[in-house]
Amino acid sequence: MNGRSALSTEAERDMIAQAQQGNRHAFGELVRCHREGMVNVVYRMCGDANLAEDAAQEAFIRAWKHLPGYRPKSPFRNWLYRIATNAALDVLRRERETVDIDELPLATPGEGPEAALEKTERGERVRQAVLALPQASRAVLVLREYEGLSYKEISETLSIPIGTVMSRLNYARNRLRETLAPYLEAL
Amino acid sequence: MNEHVTPWLGPYHDGELQGRRLRQVEDHLEHCAACRTELEQLRKLSALLQESPVAVTSTSPDRFVAQVGLRIPRRQEKPAWQKVLETGWRLTPAGLVGAWAFVQTVFIVAGIALIALQVGAGIDVLGLEIPQGETWLSAGLGSVLGLMGAELGNTARTILHLLGTLGWAIVLYLTALVVIGMLYWSWLASLWARRRHQELQSQTS
Repeated sequence: MNGRSALSTEAERDMIAQAQQGNRHAFGELVRCHREGMVNVVYRMCGDANLAEDAAQEAFIRAWKHLPGYRPKSPFRNWLYRIATNAALDVLRRERETVDIDELPLATPGEGPEAALEKTERGERVRQAVLALPQASRAVLVLREYEGLSYKEISETLSIPIGTVMSRLNYARNRLRETLAPYLEAL
Repeated sequence: MNEHVTPWLGPYHDGELQGRRLRQVEDHLEHCAACRTELEQLRKLSALLQESPVAVTSTSPDRFVAQVGLRIPRRQEKPAWQKVLETGWRLTPAGLVGAWAFVQTVFIVAGIALIALQVGAGIDVLGLEIPQGETWLSAGLGSVLGLMGAELGNTARTILHLLGTLGWAIVLYLTALVVIGMLYWSWLASLWARRRHQELQSQTS
């Protein structure tokens, strides 16, 4: 799981309070802590690292604008992920005509040997299978499988009932099990 | 064999089940090979999903933070009158509680003083003449009761005068409470509207 905040809850609350008062340095620290998680949420949603980075920056700017209205009744991370998910959906809407899932750049393999190459190829298939899911199911799957949010947190983040979270997750998993059946059998 | 628990395997795998449902799924899994296979598939799928590459970005964290810092707008300082208005709005509940306490105190103190004067020295201590028909209540009923005889009429008029004074005091007291209550509810409504507005803004971001 990525993007875990390095700040303690107390420190984060303090930073949020300062940022709400207009302290840009405090907000910078919050950006630093949540950058990885935000970029990955958007990346899993739209499939392009460069677009994800731009959209994550855009999401942070929106977060800054709406920060005075943030109430700590829900975790800050979930609040940010809601903004990131919306930013990702905006990117997808904007780039729908230009981004083709099959043409998205392959991730650069970090390992040299052939085994690593095979793993990279499998990872790519997984990524494409996730990207082929409908947006609504994809958002739920990303928040659950990659960011580890509970059903309740996903429900709050996406403003949908818990029952819908369950049904979308079931749908996404069933679709993925069909698409990725050969890889699942090999595991 | 119990009915399969397929719909609950996902939530079970995610650690979302509790209590009776959790025990039901656990019991079922002990005896059902098909559901165990399903669960295993879910676990494999989760493991496989983790193989999907993370975003490989070209921007370092420091640069990313700096770029965001450059793009975020400066917060506009609120003008002084807006700050004063904001502070006044925030202090409204305290002001209303103060007003309520003031009204209560005045009513109680005035009531006690009136009763004490009546009981201790009689109404004349106030140095007031009791004019006939001073209030609508004493005027209306006094004229009716006046027909019942002078003796009875004087006593009744005294009582009605007291009732009239007390009546007006109660009317004033209740009016003050209603006004304070209405102001308080208006403030609560504006607070709710404000929160809702902020939530909507945050949702649409």
